[in-house]
Amino acid sequence: MEENVFIIHPSEIIRKGLAWILQEYFSMEITQLAVASDLSSFSEIMNSLIIIIMDADSQIPDETAKKLRKNNHLSIVGFFGHDHKDGNCPHYEFELQERFTALQIQQLIQLVRKSATKQKTFTSTNGDLTVREKDVIRLIAMGLANKEIADRLNISIHTVISHRKNITEKLNIKSISGLTVYAIMNSLLDIKDINPEELI
Amino acid sequence: MKIFNKDDKMSSLVTGNYNLLPVINRFGIHLGFKEKTIGELCEEQKIHTDFFLAIVNTYNDESYFPHSELLSFSPFLIIDYLMTTHQYYINYVLPKIESLLNQVLLTCEKDCSSLKMISSFYQKYKIELLLHFKQEDEKVFPYIKELYRTKVIKDPGNTLAVFENEHTNVEVKLGDLRNLIIKYLEPNYDCNAMNEFLFALFQFEKDIYDHARIEDKILNVQVLKFEKQLKKLKGIG
Repeated sequence: MEENVFIIHPSEIIRKGLAWILQEYFSMEITQLAVASDLSSFSEIMNSLIIIIMDADSQIPDETAKKLRKNNHLSIVGFFGHDHKDGNCPHYEFELQERFTALQIQQLIQLVRKSATKQKTFTSTNGDLTVREKDVIRLIAMGLANKEIADRLNISIHTVISHRKNITEKLNIKSISGLTVYAIMNSLLDIKDINPEELI
Repeated sequence: MKIFNKDDKMSSLVTGNYNLLPVINRFGIHLGFKEKTIGELCEEQKIHTDFFLAIVNTYNDESYFPHSELLSFSPFLIIDYLMTTHQYYINYVLPKIESLLNQVLLTCEKDCSSLKMISSFYQKYKIELLLHFKQEDEKVFPYIKELYRTKVIKDPGNTLAVFENEHTNVEVKLGDLRNLIIKYLEPNYDCNAMNEFLFALFQFEKDIYDHARIEDKILNVQVLKFEKQLKKLKGIG
């Protein structure tokens, strides 16, 4: 999984210092932000492990956190300065103390990475089409609508939709014309069976 | 992730990501930057620096998209940029991709039927895309400009919401084309020729993704909001 690392802290010294320490653990450039609200500009990130190390007293805007969490694995590490007083700061899954040793930092990063891989569910995308899926793709390529496909194969329209979803996921081809080209290239269908002018 | 600012050298932009070259060109900025910064060159060329930076930064980094900042730019500015981009696609990118695909076809020796299917798939895609550009350049953008100039909704049955948005469809086909080639096409062609075609395709895919994002999430959002305001005003008056 791709990693995206953010450091959010009002202190330039802490931001730069942390980035310098962490750069040996991460291959990409670490994004440094002074205020948590700037994170909203990054809410389009998808399918990544996002690690946010932030000043324990600040807070990510709810909407941004929600969006990021929806499409990514989000790990938030609270950064506690040595003079931090236990106030009403939010609870953090991970904590980084200013006086951590190099070893403790290394352990923390391992912990964060481990928790992300644990939760990641791999959806299998390899795998050939089943016989039924091939039937469905053939009929899609011939220009039939879901209802017609259901009637032709004697299955419910919901089953057709579910087959279509699986086909799209397996092949990563989404348009009808793309599926038609696939069907012909894989000899599921003869080019004579379709009207290429119309379908592709 | 590097976010460029106005004090960065223009040359660092290109060395940092050479894919930004055509984007910079669209603003009328050309190579030979000397030691000038982004801010200095923008000022010289009378380019809105913040807008330039916003476009360059969103293009440079897919995950960077400062909604509120982008929404603050004038729709005229955005439309100008989008129209210049269309011209770049129509006059340069699409003909180039097509000629690269033709090169691949020339290298195919036997049983080229699949490759020909790919080629016709591309042709259809291109026609659809050009139609889409035409619709925007000739109908959607003039409508928006008129709307902002007159501040009047002439025909409530003919607003932005009515113009069909085909971006997803256009993007989906481009992705399909790429996947068909990478996963399923028999490699009976010269691989160097195919690589060149694919490189151009990847770059175009990225470019048009960014383009569509500016249009759908910024321009359209602005205009829909403006239309709503106008309707409300009219309701009160």
